[in-house]
Amino acid sequence: MNLSDSKKKLALAGVVCGIVAACLAALGNPANMAFCIACFIRDTAGAMGLHQAEVVQYARPEIIGLVLGAFIISVATKEYRSTAGSSPMIRFVLGVIIMIGALVFLGCPLRMVLRMSAGDLNAWVAFVGFILGVGTGVFALKNGFSLGRAHITNKSSGAVLPAVVVGILILATCTTLFKASQAGPGSMHAPIIASLVGGLVFGAFAQKSRMCFAGSIRDIILMKNFDLISVIAGLFVVMLVFNIATGRFVVGFNTPGVIAHSEHLWNILGMYTVGFAAVLAGGCPLRQLILAGQGSSDSAVTVVGMFVGSAICHNFGLAASGTALNPETKEVVAGAVPVNGKVACIICIVICFIIAFTNKREEAK
Amino acid sequence: MRKKVMKLVVTFHTTSDAMAMEKICKERSVPGRLIPVPRAISAGCGLSWCADLTDREQILDVMKDVGIEQEDVHECLV
Repeated sequence: MNLSDSKKKLALAGVVCGIVAACLAALGNPANMAFCIACFIRDTAGAMGLHQAEVVQYARPEIIGLVLGAFIISVATKEYRSTAGSSPMIRFVLGVIIMIGALVFLGCPLRMVLRMSAGDLNAWVAFVGFILGVGTGVFALKNGFSLGRAHITNKSSGAVLPAVVVGILILATCTTLFKASQAGPGSMHAPIIASLVGGLVFGAFAQKSRMCFAGSIRDIILMKNFDLISVIAGLFVVMLVFNIATGRFVVGFNTPGVIAHSEHLWNILGMYTVGFAAVLAGGCPLRQLILAGQGSSDSAVTVVGMFVGSAICHNFGLAASGTALNPETKEVVAGAVPVNGKVACIICIVICFIIAFTNKREEAK
Repeated sequence: MRKKVMKLVVTFHTTSDAMAMEKICKERSVPGRLIPVPRAISAGCGLSWCADLTDREQILDVMKDVGIEQEDVHECLV
């Protein structure tokens, strides 16, 4: 079935992905974190001991499923193309930056949309920053920004990340080498098989529909093209219905239990950073995983950057905290972005500008 | 729904090549517009130049003139 020949079919792909996210939320994934690329990479990095934040350590099968789902469907439909060579270290840095921005906001663009569908007004505030970030990236594109072209490489190069995630899956299920949180978000998860199947389905549909949160906004700004946003709209509507039907739709800012904070400036700047860096890297965190699955070593390097970025966030105290209820006093403790996180976020924005305006397309000789 | 028609679609190695194409075509009044690469052509998410089939020579000439290298030239329903 061709999913991409009409906006309705693209929206249908978004609906399927929304149903997957809703099922995983119902089966035990944390509230409003039903499916978050940044959080799940961070949890997986924690499980591997790359950081020591005990409440966010769990090898999320969703991440494994996403990469494998995209890999399997692209091989099956002859769309697997092993490519590499487009400024890999800059892409690594962009991966780190995307993760720092995401953990200042507390979520990737996918989770931002999920939070928006649950009435979290902080996510709507952050959405403004995300649009501005993508807009800045588009401005850079219009001014000739380029990381250079990728080239076809040996087929095995593009299969490395899919092979690595299979290794992670084996270690996570057959050994006790990985850490697993006993409390906090890392301890809340759907059964492994459900998470893995959910990831596979989500990955396959995301590959077929080219679902991308940064790309959808980019296409609207650049070409007034609404194809990609229709995928996101399908996802949003399903999650909105799910949240309303299950009583999870709560409009507000300081809502304990949804893992969010209400420092508006930093919600905006966090997602500004993600949007800006995602356009420069050629896709949002989800899209990077999908592209890596269909053979792009450049995107795989960005994914590795996101893993390292999550470790940096928790090892150096950059990640924000969510608003929570003090279990003893029953008082609401407001979530906040630590000073280190604010400084890092500003540095990331500066680095994005340097990357955006120093990497230019080579003019013809 | 708008009926799809057969069009010329030029794909590029990088997004910036597509942006450069748009700029030069505007300057020289070459017909066409920037569109996302049609899904039938690629699983990538880059940009492409879309024009009428009859504009093929004019488009390829201007690309050769300014040194923009195409990845491929397709004819597909857009």
